[in-house]
Amino acid sequence: MRALSLLRAHAQVAFLELLRYPGYVVPTVVFPAMFYVLFDLPYARTHADVADGTALAFIVFAIAGVTFYQFGVGIAAERGRPWERYLRTLPVPPLARFGARIVTAVLFGLMTAAAVALTARALTPIDLSASQWLLVAFYGIAGGVPFVLAGISIGYWSSPRAAVPLATALNLLLAYAGGLWMPPEYLPGIVQRISPYLPTRQFADLLWSVPGGAHAGPALAGLAIFTLVFGIIATIGYRRDERKRYA
Amino acid sequence: MDDRTVLRFERVEKSYGAVRALEGVSFAVERNEIVALLGPNGAGKTTGLEIACGLRRCDAGSVRLFGEPPTSVAARQRLGVTPQESGFPDMLRVDEILTFVAQHYPAASPVSVALARFGLEALRKRRAGTLSGGESRRLALALAFVGNPDLVVLDEPSAGLDVQSRRRLWDVVRESARDRSILLTTHYLEEAQALASRILVIDRGRLLFDGDASTLRDRVGDRRVSYVGNDGPVLVTPSDADAYVRALVQSGAAFTDLEISKPSLEEAFLSLTGGSV
Repeated sequence: MRALSLLRAHAQVAFLELLRYPGYVVPTVVFPAMFYVLFDLPYARTHADVADGTALAFIVFAIAGVTFYQFGVGIAAERGRPWERYLRTLPVPPLARFGARIVTAVLFGLMTAAAVALTARALTPIDLSASQWLLVAFYGIAGGVPFVLAGISIGYWSSPRAAVPLATALNLLLAYAGGLWMPPEYLPGIVQRISPYLPTRQFADLLWSVPGGAHAGPALAGLAIFTLVFGIIATIGYRRDERKRYA
Repeated sequence: MDDRTVLRFERVEKSYGAVRALEGVSFAVERNEIVALLGPNGAGKTTGLEIACGLRRCDAGSVRLFGEPPTSVAARQRLGVTPQESGFPDMLRVDEILTFVAQHYPAASPVSVALARFGLEALRKRRAGTLSGGESRRLALALAFVGNPDLVVLDEPSAGLDVQSRRRLWDVVRESARDRSILLTTHYLEEAQALASRILVIDRGRLLFDGDASTLRDRVGDRRVSYVGNDGPVLVTPSDADAYVRALVQSGAAFTDLEISKPSLEEAFLSLTGGSV
């Protein structure tokens, strides 16, 4: 109970702080929607058959990008700050702090996803019911978690300087190979064969199952495995950092 | 361990590579004590505090905070620490930061009380990034006390403050020290003397002295006798000052300005650390 209320306190403060940086919030929220408008909209607005699928792919791009890139990797820059050091002297279990980071990241991811969704609703013949949108939001939360953990892993295992370019490259590569920018069947052969094993593709498959009616089970299972793997890597990274920094 | 003991160091060793920061340091902080860890820069004071707060581990020996390892959540619920004042989240307001920290402690004081005690009422809605150095210092102190902890640890609380602010700070610390212990580091002798009920002198990783200020003075030496005699000023450090003065008076020699003085804390400190302050 106490750990949960501390989790909420830490998430609240992190969210509040972010919201006070409009120069950060606005571009971050708008960027995936802008990408969507530039590259997908011209086609999607006239093709009802792909409007759902492409909007959902950009929603994945939005959530995965923000959770992985902004929040996960951000830990690389934060872990050396004096405030971070002070927080370590407070009576709070590390798990509550980890949890708060995940919650903040996923909520922020949902905000960027909402920008894409609203654009699609306004400008394309996208056709999802309210309950389908709700399911998309729920899957969006579930899918965001392994990406925060992956970002945290990179944040802990690389130097603050290296983390950002590394994450940028991975973010774009995974978006491309996961079929977020073009349908997977248009990807080059070898990429097509790797694609189903990538977390971005599994995340997309999960959202595509909402209008498509495919079984969500395999995609959920894949994401659960990624959550577990990155959870372990992030935990080991955290412990290693603790040992080094507080030896 | 008896429950009057708040913090206990036993034969604590700590090295950074070839540099030995602490060598076999043992001491205890009891309930309601203000203890000053006094020593020159690089003596090992900050390392000692970091180990006490669980920010570093010792290589050997043992450290117990309220009978537990300093990293335990239960021990930390009774510990208050000051953050570095340059490091607050810029965009959060003073009252938001205080509320956030208070939420971690089961017996925290109301935020309004902390605001009042540390003179932050007028600043409550200010963002931390806009505070001056002195204001940030007050916020840092308020954060150490807001949880109503049984032990507050202050690292160089008055470094960089002018004389007036330093005295105000002492008043606040003394007042906030009721019913709790305080462990502070300082390299101002005056500060140790003004605030602490006990002084630990540390130099080059070794604990050289553990006791109160007057014992520290006594330890280094005898009282000095000075006067102006027929042949000019005289300054002597006899082994028995009382006997010396008695003999001087009985000798019938003329003298003026007789003075008997204890060595100052500063002199005591210099003689303990071999001249380095």
